[in-house]
Amino acid sequence: MDPNWNDSQPIYRQLRDRVVEMILEGILGDGDALPSVRSVAAEYRLNPLTVLKGYQELVDEGLVEKRRGRGMFIMEGAKKALLAGERELFLNEQWPSVVATIRRLGLNLDDLVEIARPELEETEGDER
Amino acid sequence: MTTLVKASGLSKSYGTVKALDQASFEIHQGRIVGLIGPNGAGKTTALKAVLGLTSFEGKLEVLGLDPRRERHRIMQDVCFIADVAVLPKWLRVRKALDLVDRLHPRFERSRAEDFLSRTTVRMDSKIGQLSKGMVTQLHLALVMAIEARLLVLDEPTLGLDILFRKEFYKTLLNDYFDENRTILVTTHQVEEIENILTDVIFIDRGRLVLDESMDSIADRFVEVSVKPDRAEAARQLGPLSEQEMFGRRVFLFENGNAEQLRDLGEMRTPGIADLFVAKIKERSA
Repeated sequence: MDPNWNDSQPIYRQLRDRVVEMILEGILGDGDALPSVRSVAAEYRLNPLTVLKGYQELVDEGLVEKRRGRGMFIMEGAKKALLAGERELFLNEQWPSVVATIRRLGLNLDDLVEIARPELEETEGDER
Repeated sequence: MTTLVKASGLSKSYGTVKALDQASFEIHQGRIVGLIGPNGAGKTTALKAVLGLTSFEGKLEVLGLDPRRERHRIMQDVCFIADVAVLPKWLRVRKALDLVDRLHPRFERSRAEDFLSRTTVRMDSKIGQLSKGMVTQLHLALVMAIEARLLVLDEPTLGLDILFRKEFYKTLLNDYFDENRTILVTTHQVEEIENILTDVIFIDRGRLVLDESMDSIADRFVEVSVKPDRAEAARQLGPLSEQEMFGRRVFLFENGNAEQLRDLGEMRTPGIADLFVAKIKERSA
């Protein structure tokens, strides 16, 4: 299997993003082991230092922990922390411009909630 | 940081042709170094010098020893493969193991047998009866069972199909390489190994054109995809090269000003093959 690396970001960063995606999608859960640096390097034919650098990013972000002699593991609450971060990002960066658009277009808040309700309730159901 | 190879002013001439011209470089432990150059650039001459297989001028230390006088001691810690698909056809697999067992003091026979037991290569087969891919596996088994500090690979995957080439590097990373080992590799198929490398050395007509770690290449070189109306502005900034791709102009810059370049278009780190072509052209210009 060959992942499609793009050239716009360093590979270690893309590796980090991929693990984050897997955590958010629930493929990697709290306490799960990450594959060893060696096996990822061999499978994707990457320099082991590249893989290590990607893993180190995750450690620095508090999403993954190193257990001496046993490898890397997803921290308890990693997904929660990621979601909190994503929510904060949305509220701080995207939401203000959404609000500005609502105001500019003169939309009614109650109408908007009514429109979005069926879909929101559906995804809430998925999450549980 | 342990230095395994240290060359300074390394030169070698064949008649009037300078195969190596004042080449200076170092190779450190735990690195995977790609020696990249066109045919006749001096790659093999450089490897031969490191292995003590040719005379040369200048200074060269391998594992702290002089390859001209202490080749025997160097070869206890160095392993060399040119073209993994070739071994004597008349030899049986078992005999090949016997041979290396007797020749190399650091050969661990059980490791080679263990590796081969996971392949379709049989101990009593003649090498002439094996497929090219199987010969590669045998070759790898022999090499990986040697406790060497430096592995020198000269066009190791020449003539192998893509699957076996991938398998070769996969095995090398999985079963062989670690931070105590060092690999020096030459190849034409740069794209295939560029993500494995920690360092690249470009060589052209005997001279080193570039000697950088992959990290510093990402810092130093930028490729920018520029819309046609910004092309002239890009040319003003003195790019290393210019190419057209899907209606866009792709410029390669060395030590460019990131602010200015961001203005021109989308930036990314160039591939080693593109960088190589640009550097060689720059020299010819």
